[in-house]
Amino acid sequence: MYIKDLYAISPQKTHDLSFEQGDWQVLNQYAYTAIEPSYQDLIPNAQLRRMGKAVRMGIGVSLPLLARNPKPDGIIFGTANGGLEDCIKFLNQIVEYNEGTLTPTNFVQSTPNALAGQVALLSENQGYNMTHVNGSLAFESALLDAALYFDEHSPTEKSILLGAVEEISDYNYNIDYLGNRFKEELVPNNDLLNSRTNGSYCGEGSTQFILSNNPENSLARFSALKQSSTLSEEEITDFVQSFLAEQNLSPAGIDCLLLGKNGDVSTDLWYDKVQNSFPGTPVAFFKKAVGEYRTVSAFASYLAVRLLNRQAGYLIENGATENPRTILIYNHFDAVRHSLILIQK
Amino acid sequence: MGEIVVTGMGAITSIGLTIAENLRSLQQENSGIKKAKHFKSRYAESLFFGEIDQNDEALLSELGLEQGQGYTRTTLIAIKAFREAIAHAQLSPEEIASGRTAFISSSTVGGMCYTDDLYNDANLRGVPSEYIKSYEGSDHALRIVRLHNMKGITDVINTACSSSANAIALGARLLETGKADRVIAGGSDCLAKFTVNGFNSLRILSEEPCKPFDTNREGLSLGEAAAYIVLERREDVKDLRKIQAIFAGFGICNDAFHPSATSNDARGPRMAMELALKRAALKPSDIGYINAHGTGTPNNDITESYAFSKLFDKVPPFSSTKSYVGHTLAAAGAIEAIYSILTIRNQEIYPSLRVQEPIADFPFKPVLHYTPETEIKHVLSNSFGFGGNCTSLIFSACI
Repeated sequence: MYIKDLYAISPQKTHDLSFEQGDWQVLNQYAYTAIEPSYQDLIPNAQLRRMGKAVRMGIGVSLPLLARNPKPDGIIFGTANGGLEDCIKFLNQIVEYNEGTLTPTNFVQSTPNALAGQVALLSENQGYNMTHVNGSLAFESALLDAALYFDEHSPTEKSILLGAVEEISDYNYNIDYLGNRFKEELVPNNDLLNSRTNGSYCGEGSTQFILSNNPENSLARFSALKQSSTLSEEEITDFVQSFLAEQNLSPAGIDCLLLGKNGDVSTDLWYDKVQNSFPGTPVAFFKKAVGEYRTVSAFASYLAVRLLNRQAGYLIENGATENPRTILIYNHFDAVRHSLILIQK
Repeated sequence: MGEIVVTGMGAITSIGLTIAENLRSLQQENSGIKKAKHFKSRYAESLFFGEIDQNDEALLSELGLEQGQGYTRTTLIAIKAFREAIAHAQLSPEEIASGRTAFISSSTVGGMCYTDDLYNDANLRGVPSEYIKSYEGSDHALRIVRLHNMKGITDVINTACSSSANAIALGARLLETGKADRVIAGGSDCLAKFTVNGFNSLRILSEEPCKPFDTNREGLSLGEAAAYIVLERREDVKDLRKIQAIFAGFGICNDAFHPSATSNDARGPRMAMELALKRAALKPSDIGYINAHGTGTPNNDITESYAFSKLFDKVPPFSSTKSYVGHTLAAAGAIEAIYSILTIRNQEIYPSLRVQEPIADFPFKPVLHYTPETEIKHVLSNSFGFGGNCTSLIFSACI
């Protein structure tokens, strides 16, 4: 699967590509909210006002990508929660009005497939359309779906709009806060990994890719992917090693490692274990840029493509890589769901 | 690549806690759409629901699960149907745990089924509930994966009312491309204030038990269900008696018309059926029965009928089994896949109940009575969802 184009709205300035050039946002807040561009030229105001944040960010990324690329044959999204703000606004109405007469807007917007449906509607795309909600593996599931799609249609040239979205709402922040996923104290993102406390900070955003089975003019490719929800800490090293072996790679064949370390002292050990298998390999920690959320591996993939094209190199922490060709992403959520994504030039 | 076959089924609905009970109710025209006994809502009095006749405590204890661990009703009914399906397919614990076994589930309400607990937790009221880590749409699937130590590919889909039809299609694709050797696919959705109020706000709930394809239909009745099927490649199945039916093909597309209604020319539903026929290498005239999406809303039943009239020279027998169990949302596609397979296995058609006056705009009408001793080789099963998601599945008799 070749990556032809990509775009992201994130807590960094990815919307105008200044993040790639070195414009780094120091974040000193509990919620790493996305820096959104003006949607004035993209979405009519009346429509924009009705859109929840997940749908708005998602469409804000889809429309520019669709405008500058040929019409894709399918639209595939991954999102753990979709439009949660709308969802719980509707829920609040149910409880506060004792199930009285409610307006349907929030309900319709709250379904996680609202975004893929809206993008299909706005771009008049009747092709394959799918929404994966597999928690913190939702983006990986969308990626697998795209890989199957290309497998099935090869050798015909096909393209797919593949994306992920997650939003911060007060409510999901509260729920994950009560679930002990966020920090009590505040440290800036630059020091996130030295905080030595439990939890992390909540992030959000939408990251999307135009994928094709035609390698011409591609920026990089998704080479391989692996997931697990049953690993023990003792098994993680083998999990990574066997993945590399399946790809005929050794640790030395990885030019750069992207790790999902999020400053949670109770689960960061898993990343340290993996990093220990790659002595001297340059590494970047993408959650310092965008925080923790369930489809953050889409942002990690975005960053990998940038690094493979000699952008955003300032994020690599231990020595520069000259000309990286192979990047491995390892991410986990709650140390329960784990994924490996291999992206190559 | 060889054929994909169904080797196991499990289902829990308002007309039965097992496949055998479901079959009996289908044959006896017993509708499960009644006044709710367990579901607490303002609408429990005024509306009719396809409610599973077992409360959460009874389910927990029957399944041998510990209380207070955050098992939601979505999860409990999912576990029940999952266990029946794997037992039916005679999968060993080793086979289920194997990295070559995939699990593809689906849900719309997911872990958000206890509206009041969620309200308190989301608004930081009182002590956190036991469900604080259960709210994700994928929670039910993750729990099943962890209970069975499943190392293979897992996924959860939410394309609204077409969700589990898409889960089945994805499962078949994993087998076709060799990414898995066996797949358990389906979905689970339980009754929740969230969905009842959502559909009520759209004014598409019927005040009487739904009557799909009737001229005077008023809307849908909501139900709850979980259903899973086991899919394998035919060449891998040693005991051929296990084979329930062939999964012959699917079509997936988007109507790209409206967030919560089907286009007047039913372009999405038509395209989904055409794609499924193409993939199954069948002609419209090969289809012996259609298990319609048939929600009972004015919009769906007229547009789906229109799609039939355009696609088929002679529309085959069709019915909506939502007249038995209500609209079970994410589970509907898998439930109806199972009913389609039962249609093939038993060579009989389960009717659309309560139709008094079939829609007059078309020269065809749904099957109105239980019809045994028919000859059916290929069945088309439709599922269309909000967001324009349209999916058609085809199951064929195994000869």
